[in-house]
Order: sequence, then structure tokens, then C-alpha cells
Amino acid sequence: MAQNYDPAPEAKSNMGQPIPRYEAVQKVTGAKIYADDLPVPGRAAYGWMVTSAIAKGRITSIDYTAAKSVPGVQLILTHENRPSLADIKTFAGGGLGITDVQPLSGPEVHHDGQPVALIVADTFEAAREASFKLAISYAESSPTATFGDEGTVEKNLSEVNPRYEPIRFNDADAAITNSAHSIDVEYYTPTQHHNAIELFSTTAYWDGPRLVLHEPSQYVWGLRNASASMMEVDAENVRVKSPFVGGAFGSKAALTHRTALAAMAAKQLGRPVKLVAMRDQGFTHSGHRQETRQRVRLGCDANGKLTGYDHRQWEFTARTTPYSNGGLEKTVAMYDFKAARTDNYVVQGDRNVPTFMRSPAEVPTVYALEAAMNELAAKAGIDPVEFRKMNDTRVNPVNGVPYTSRSLNECLDAAAERFGWTGRNPEARSMRDGDWLIGWGCSIAMYPTQMMPSTARLTVRRNGTAFIEVAAHDVGTGCYTIAAQAAGERLGIDPRRIDVRMGDSRLPPGPISGGSISTASVTSAIAKACDLVDERLGVAKDASAEERSAALSGMAMPELEVVGSWVPAGMDESAIESLYKGGVRISGGAGEERTMFAFGAEMVEVRVNERTREVRVPRIVGAFAAGRIMNPRTAHSQYLGGLIWGIGSALHEATEIDHKRARYVNDNIAEYLIPVNADIEQVDIIMVPEVDEEVNILGVKGIGELANVGTPAAITDAIWHATGIRIRDLPVRIEKLL
Amino acid sequence: MSETPDRMDFVSRRGLMKGGVAGAAILPASARAQTASSSEDADGTVPLQRMNVTLDVNGQARQLTIDTRSTLLDVLRHDLDLTGSKKGCDHGQCGACTVHIDGERRLSCLTLAAQAEGHEIVTIEGLGSENALHPMQQAFVDNDAFQCGYCTPGQIMSAVACIREGHAGSDAEIREYMSGNLCRCAAYPNIVAAVKQAKSGMEG
Repeated sequence: MAQNYDPAPEAKSNMGQPIPRYEAVQKVTGAKIYADDLPVPGRAAYGWMVTSAIAKGRITSIDYTAAKSVPGVQLILTHENRPSLADIKTFAGGGLGITDVQPLSGPEVHHDGQPVALIVADTFEAAREASFKLAISYAESSPTATFGDEGTVEKNLSEVNPRYEPIRFNDADAAITNSAHSIDVEYYTPTQHHNAIELFSTTAYWDGPRLVLHEPSQYVWGLRNASASMMEVDAENVRVKSPFVGGAFGSKAALTHRTALAAMAAKQLGRPVKLVAMRDQGFTHSGHRQETRQRVRLGCDANGKLTGYDHRQWEFTARTTPYSNGGLEKTVAMYDFKAARTDNYVVQGDRNVPTFMRSPAEVPTVYALEAAMNELAAKAGIDPVEFRKMNDTRVNPVNGVPYTSRSLNECLDAAAERFGWTGRNPEARSMRDGDWLIGWGCSIAMYPTQMMPSTARLTVRRNGTAFIEVAAHDVGTGCYTIAAQAAGERLGIDPRRIDVRMGDSRLPPGPISGGSISTASVTSAIAKACDLVDERLGVAKDASAEERSAALSGMAMPELEVVGSWVPAGMDESAIESLYKGGVRISGGAGEERTMFAFGAEMVEVRVNERTREVRVPRIVGAFAAGRIMNPRTAHSQYLGGLIWGIGSALHEATEIDHKRARYVNDNIAEYLIPVNADIEQVDIIMVPEVDEEVNILGVKGIGELANVGTPAAITDAIWHATGIRIRDLPVRIEKLL
Repeated sequence: MSETPDRMDFVSRRGLMKGGVAGAAILPASARAQTASSSEDADGTVPLQRMNVTLDVNGQARQLTIDTRSTLLDVLRHDLDLTGSKKGCDHGQCGACTVHIDGERRLSCLTLAAQAEGHEIVTIEGLGSENALHPMQQAFVDNDAFQCGYCTPGQIMSAVACIREGHAGSDAEIREYMSGNLCRCAAYPNIVAAVKQAKSGMEG
């Protein structure tokens, strides 16, 4: 660890204070702040999902006898006896469902691990025992597992997403062909699973017509409305409680099968039902990052100026629901390309439906772009940091729309200085320390600045305290803390005197916690609420925090309550209506009236043992610029986690699939490798100050999904620099370096 | 971890499974297995086994009737309402369920509750309180050694034991001996910083 390592860096310009997390004491004392810990009325029954033993085919019969005879078993639900449910739409159709296949909808099996029965018993142990005794017979067909297997169906993305348009900007083909230097390479990125430490749990109980769900959620209003719709009950009668989420990374945004299963069982039994998808079941329950193939052709002139860029992506997806992330409209905006062409395809097989996972579109596509940038820089004999700086752009080259702010070059300079990049010998295998081959690599990080409408209720009190209520979510991001800071900075109140409540669908609606949306959206709604307080108190908008504080302490009433609402630029007030219906409308990134992105630069040293081929990452430096930083402590942790996710993505993480049975092989958290403490050495984070007056009220860009983008390209280039071996197929494991 | 004579009779669920039926012999003498009232089914289903135990948890004797198959983690969470210990895998892979048994770190998901009888169990709820944080808890707050917080109780219980074991001599040693506790938010360098801070608090 660096001598000057500071988990709570001091604020630089345009940054808030690095105060500790709002809930820090609760998190270190084991307080009941997660959905599965919340108390329920009466003695809960325990559910166990039985999942399909095949990936494709149908259930031919179910023998319940032995399972029913297990003492304590109360209920077995299958497609043969489940109550009626309405069909709901997936994200692509404007809904919140993870899949188009509804829970226990019939005997057909569409993927391995599909829930085929729910067993509920008085104890967890009895439910589990009965699950082994439920005898299900199947007629099995041969499934299609992944790329290259028999039975795949390839489609242009426009066939499944009418809004998708391939990019044709000048003649990329001619531009590349006529370039002084060019490359044409293919990359592969693997299936990955979120694997938050908190499992997918749902506890459901009914109070007359009212349904209460304790479920970790990245979108409680969305979950409320989607589950009400599926259960065919009034949304007003559904309440979702999820005060804190034990990690999500995209996996807790959708409506999965377990919610309706738990709710139906709780209704039939008249008691609370707790249902948890166990770790292995989680691999097929709530999506994953789909494996992709990427083909990149890239050219530059003799001076290193980029010419043409041609990027094609194939995403592996489900036959039932062709989920896709796309993303090439963003990579094409990164540099000063003179011509570009992109095409996106989906390839379908007999798999569970993918979903978004931390920087969904950006992780695979930016890896491919940045790996190609490194390869082309080496071919052209130009330093890869210089190569990026000389191809910087102030506009999206495809449509000429300016960036609201773009501090990429400042990030490259800051990272290079801290890392000591200058003087890097460009030759591969030029550095070693005994048996260890040493290499350096770099990449950019980027993430679109995205926003969603939000509301926030603000109560200010004469005694100098305040209260914020918004159904936003804290998935570990520090959302409660920055909400208190946003109000406190404006009102002149110490944020520690501001109570915050989130993660409950009874609160005024906030944005989905996805797409790094929350801070930008929630602080904007809080700013709007503060405007209303000013109006009610007759305080000038440009008043100082002290003047405002004085006005508050002189209020006639003991407290004043307002509800602020905010919609991002380019949306009208109907977006608030949509928010109240649990809708998801997101703006930002490329393709808006302004081009909005946060940027970073990452530099990494790797050591590859010449004899064992073990790869270590002794140090990594990341420099990031993302508008206003609300709290340098929580921001530092998000960047830290992101960089380590990047290391994991490059070197560890991959879900292996059995090609014959279309089944995940390493569906546990010991064989699905994620970085552990011993894998991580020196991590150095620089927050480059940046002011953006256009993106939203406080000038905040989302950072949760920034730092893990690009890292694998930096690491694979460092491995090439150390060994002379180009690996284009992630993750880089020992066997690929032999 | 060092072997101590007074915990030689302590066998984990993993050891029990390895040992097969012979494992039943290690149940504490005080365990009183009972057969539930429901009779054996015609097809030979084994009836539910229940037993009475007294568990010493956070300094309190807790009497309860449990399923003989229950893990200590499930009994803590389901029966004793001590939900600070977390279930992240139920397979001894993630460390989120780490508790102290006779002062040593143990995975409560791989420990049968029945086997914990007669041993001193400390969970995160017994380590410190909101108004009197253990130095390790304070160090985790000070160093932002978590994000989502779900692995945190297990990390803290492991970290306290790591210092007690004498495995916090260097950054590298802390990293190695804290690698049984996964943190998906990846707060690892902050966890190392917290262990170093608490080490002086605990030893000083």
C-alpha cells in the first residue's frame, strides 16, 4: 500500500466534504438494514425454488408423493397448480421483467436453472429436503449453449430492436484501407455474473388486500408497479421495502420469478414466506453479462491521426428474450475519427436472459476499442498515451455535438505523472526483475452521464434539522450520505443533522439505481426542493447558506415540508407521470442535444512470472474527472471498487458453460473467481477537478460504472508489454500465456 | 489457526460430512435428540429430527429446539433474530457468516448449531454496540472499509481474529489472512488500512 494511501481524500475544488457514510455505524454493528433482516408479522415459512435439471425440453410428469410427505411441508407450487398471473413486459418492452417467460407458466423449459417448482415448509431444512424428493420427469432436447454451437440464430440488432440504427459516417472502409497503419482484430469477452454477496431474497406477506415485499431492489417503485401488475392487484396496495442493498451491480433491478412465487405462497398460506435463491440458483435467476465477440478495424495516418473505425459486435442472448446492450454509438464518440461504421448483432441460444451488469455496454465495447488503440499505437510506433491525446475530440465526430465537458487529457496527464509513465520503453519484454517480466499498459475509462426524473420530499425544521425522503436506493454507493450533503450545503445545515429515508416505495419516487444515475438525479430533485423552501421563506435564490440558515431558524411554523421534482433536459413533465408508474426513462450520453460523458485514464503495471506464468498487478493508477464530486470518500471507494472490478474482469472472472448441456459449470463463488484481498496491492486514485455547468443542477456526473471500463485493455497491453503475447480473449489466465 | 485442546471436540459441518455417519458420535453429550411426533412414512421417509440445545451466544444462554440439520448461521438468523451474520453462499466460500467460537473465527454456515453447544459464540452484535464500538468497528468506519456493507460483519469478525492470531504483521500478511472474506464491492485496500489502524487500538 502506498505510504500516502488515504481512503478519505481531502476535497479539491468542486468537491464536497469527505464525511463518513450516513449508515456507517449500522453497517459495522450488524444492524437490520437489509431486506432479508427486516421483521415480519408472525412466524415465517421458508421457500425453496426447484430449478430445471435440463436446459431445453419439457416437463412430462411430476410425482409429489415423497416431497409432500416431508414433515413441515405446507405447499408445493408448479405449473400444474399455480394461481393465475398476468404476463409482464421486459425492459425492452418498457416493463421490468427479467424474461418474457412468466413464472411456472407451463411445462416448457427454456434454459438450465429455470424455476419449475416452489416448495414452502415450516423450516428451511424441510423445504430443502422436499426439494430433493420432488420427482420431475423431463423430455430433453439438445440445447444450444453459446457461440459456435449448433442451433444458434444470428440477427442484426435492428430486427429485435426497431430503435437501433447502425452507424455509417463517411466511408470507413476506404479510410481504413488507405491508412498508413491499420489493424483488423477480433476480441472475445466472457459471460460474467454480478455475484453480489447478498443473495436474491424476497419475503412476502399480505395484510388483507395489501402485499408487502421485503426485497433488495435497485428500483422499488418499478418493482412495486411491476409486481402489482403481475399479481393483478392495485399498485397502491403493494409496498416494497429495501432500506439498503447488499450489492447489486445491475442484478437487482428487474422483476424476477421469485417475487410472484413468494407472494402467491404467502397468500395461499396466510403467513409470511421467505424465499432466497441460493448462490448457484442466482446464476440463472437474474441475468448476467452476456459473452460477446468484437471485431475492430482501425487505421491511422503516418503521423498517428486516426482515420477510419469499423466496429462490429455480436452479443450472445436468450432465444426467448433477445436482450442486448449495444453501445457502439458511444465508442464511436470517443476519438476524432474521420469515418466510422458500426454493426451490432445478437446471437440466440437456449440460455437464461442476460441483463445489465456494471457498465453493461461499455465493459466489452470499450475494452475492444482500447485494446485496438493500444495495438495500433504499437504498430505505428507511437506512445499509447500520446496517441490518445493527439486524437482527442471536443465533439461527437458522428454528429458534431459538443461535449459538455471532457477532461480526458487532464486525466491522462495526471495518471502519467503519478505512475511515472514517461520514458516507458515501447519494446515488449524490455523490463524484468529476476523471473518476473514487467509490463506497463494504459487505457481510457469512460461512462455516459445519464439521468432520470426524480422527486424528493424535504422537511426543514426551525430547530436546524431537516429530513429527506425519496425512494432512491443505496447499493453501497453512498446515496443517503450525498443526499444529506446536497441539502446541507444549500441550506447551511450540517449534513449530520439531516435524516434521510430511502428504499421504500411509500416514499416519493426516485430513479432506478442503474446507469450511474442516482447522484445526478436525486441531488437535482433535492435542489428543486430547496428552491421551493426558498420561495416559501422568501429567501433570494443566491442567498448564502448563512442567510438561509437564519431564515430557517426564524420560521413561523416549526417545520416546512415541500416536494421537489426534476426532469432532465430534453424530457417534459410527462416524465414525472412515467416515474410515478414505475417507468424507466433515461437520458444522457451520446445522441442527446449535448454529448455527456465522464472520463478517466488508467495505467497499470503487471508482473508475469516467466516460469509459472502467474500474473500479478502490483500497482494501478486511475485518474478520473466526473463533474462535481459530492463526497471524495465515497467517490474514492467507488473508483477503488471499479478498478478492482477491472482487474477481476481482465484476469479472473468468467462463467464457464458446458457446451453439451448449456449449463453453467462454476456456479459458485469459489470457482467463479473474483479478486480477493491478496490479489490487490497498490491502488492509487486521483480525482481531477472538473466543472460542468450543463449536465444537471449541481454539475454531477455518475461515477459508479466509470472505473471498471477500459481496465482490461490496460492490463492486456501491459501483459503484451511484459511478454510479447497479445491475448484477445478474456480473462487472461495462466494457460493462455504458456 | 492453532489447535487448542479445549476445542478438540469441535467439528465443522464440512468435517461432519467428510466423516459421514460417524460424525453423529461427536454431538455433545448434553444433546437430547428427539423424534418429532410425525411418524415414519410408508415410503421410508426419515422423520424430522429435533433436539433441544442451549447456545452461549454473546454471553447469554439461549435455550431452543432446533432441527438437527440446522446450521449455526440459520439458527442465529432464523431462531435467535441475530441477523448481523450474513448468508452469502452457505458453502463456506465467502466468509460473510464468520463468527467467533471460543475466540476463533469460524464459518457459521459450515457449523451445525448442535455442535456449537458448550462453546462460546460471539457474533457481530456481541462485539461492540452503537455507542461503544469495538476498535475494529471504528476503524472500518474511519477507513470506509465497505460499500454495500453486506460482507462487513464477517470481515470485522475475521479482522479481529486476524490480529489475535498474530497475522497482521504486514500489509501482505493482512491481505493473505483476510482473503477468506470476499468483498464484491472490493474495499480491500480500505480493509487493510482498517486492520492496521485497529491493530494499534487493540494492542495499545
